[in-house]
Amino acid sequence: MDEWTDRLSDYVDGELRADQRAEMEAHLSGCTECRDVLEQLRGVVARAATLEDRGPTRDLWSKVAREIKVERAARDVAPRRARRLSFSVPQLLAASIALMLLSASAVWLTVAHRVTGGTSQQTAAGRTPEGGPTTRVAWATDPRYDAAIAELQAALQAGRRNGQLDSATIRIVEHNLAIIDTAIVQARRALAADPGSAYLNHHLADTMRRKMDLLRQATAITGART
Amino acid sequence: MLATLATLTALAFAQQTDTQIAVRQGIRLEVNNYGGGIVVKAWNQNAVRVHAEHSSRDYVDVNLEPSVLTVKAASRRGPPGVVDYTINAPAWMALNLAGMSTDIEVDGTQGAVTAETVSGEIKCRGGTGYISLKSVEGAVALQDAKGRVEINTVNEGITLTGVSGDITAETVSGDIELEGIESSNVDVNTVSGDVVYEGTIKDAGHYRFSTHNGDVTLAIPEKANATVSVATFNGDFDSSFPVSVTGTTKHRFGFTIGTGSARLDLETFNGDIKLRRPGKLHVKDHDHDEENH
Repeated sequence: MDEWTDRLSDYVDGELRADQRAEMEAHLSGCTECRDVLEQLRGVVARAATLEDRGPTRDLWSKVAREIKVERAARDVAPRRARRLSFSVPQLLAASIALMLLSASAVWLTVAHRVTGGTSQQTAAGRTPEGGPTTRVAWATDPRYDAAIAELQAALQAGRRNGQLDSATIRIVEHNLAIIDTAIVQARRALAADPGSAYLNHHLADTMRRKMDLLRQATAITGART
Repeated sequence: MLATLATLTALAFAQQTDTQIAVRQGIRLEVNNYGGGIVVKAWNQNAVRVHAEHSSRDYVDVNLEPSVLTVKAASRRGPPGVVDYTINAPAWMALNLAGMSTDIEVDGTQGAVTAETVSGEIKCRGGTGYISLKSVEGAVALQDAKGRVEINTVNEGITLTGVSGDITAETVSGDIELEGIESSNVDVNTVSGDVVYEGTIKDAGHYRFSTHNGDVTLAIPEKANATVSVATFNGDFDSSFPVSVTGTTKHRFGFTIGTGSARLDLETFNGDIKLRRPGKLHVKDHDHDEENH
């Protein structure tokens, strides 16, 4: 698979010669694995085109800065040549995970900001004081939360398919996601019976945040392994 | 026979690196280790000694830059294998330690500590300033540290002993135990596990202890001043000393101790909340004689 996947980014960029392109298409018609990778790469390109220009989140920046440093060091010793934007498949997969993380994080920040009305209400430990039931329910039912969770889960699954997370770690993450999901179900059920409870609203929101945090952590590990 | 062969093979491939490098005040140590262990022991010399056990295929790269000393392994073929580091570092040195399948242990440091691993435990004794310890599959223990403390794991418990400063601790399935704590800002959260706290309740401080499936047990100091909010969905409240409940809703009630200066939030969805006198944290329920609520 490696020989073909290495050429997939050139294929996506339209940089293969006609004969190479035909060869690649013949291979793709018979290789499910390569077709999956191709689909992911096209997804990355499409996603990158639609993303807003947002600043990097704090936890990503140190890694990005380190990579820039490594790249600069390599560039200093490498002979100069014509600049062409080209990435290996693992790099593109890592980029796709990073894009998903950025996108999901942006949704998370937007939702959290809308509910709390900004950071002024946050405590020193980074949490909001207990809000009223209305804002919490609005938060807990915000469709963008589900979208962010779906994106992070997709990133996790991509990491799993590509062997970027080992099976023991995946089992543990899934086990703990199941624990959180059970807690969310119980909290939702309790809230349905008592929608005015500030505690239940707060607890549900906090448990949902835990799920987001765990998924972000797991996908970040996937990126680091790449 | 196979075991003997395996041992002989391991011995044949075992290699040690032992190097020492002088460092000036202010430099931080950065260690990356994909698999194996990182043990950092503080000493009183302005030098870092790196002892590493690894395969003969691998080599250890110790690189001194203006503000950081980096230690990492590389391989002549493919990714590096398991490396066990034992590092002596100046007590003042800030530490950034990272790994995947790596156990991390720090002993006696007085600097800032950042340690991250995926499938490994983290044990840290000492630390000052920003202390961040994160694992996924392993337990995390911090002892005798002072500063802003952030602890995070997923599948195991967290233990903090003799720690002072702002504390945030989170796990998903595991207990969180904090003893000998001196802090005015504590935020502790687990989804499936017990929470235990014995430490100061400082005036104007903010303390939050929360779990979904588990008990929350607190030792309240004799002269504490706190406004306490207790919330539980499927659980009981039990106190070793008298309290006068002031506000009650379906799942929450509150009471005040002393002047009520500090804010104390105690929450469990499926568990009990227990208040104990200092030193009586681990006394069994039937041993105490005063019960309220």
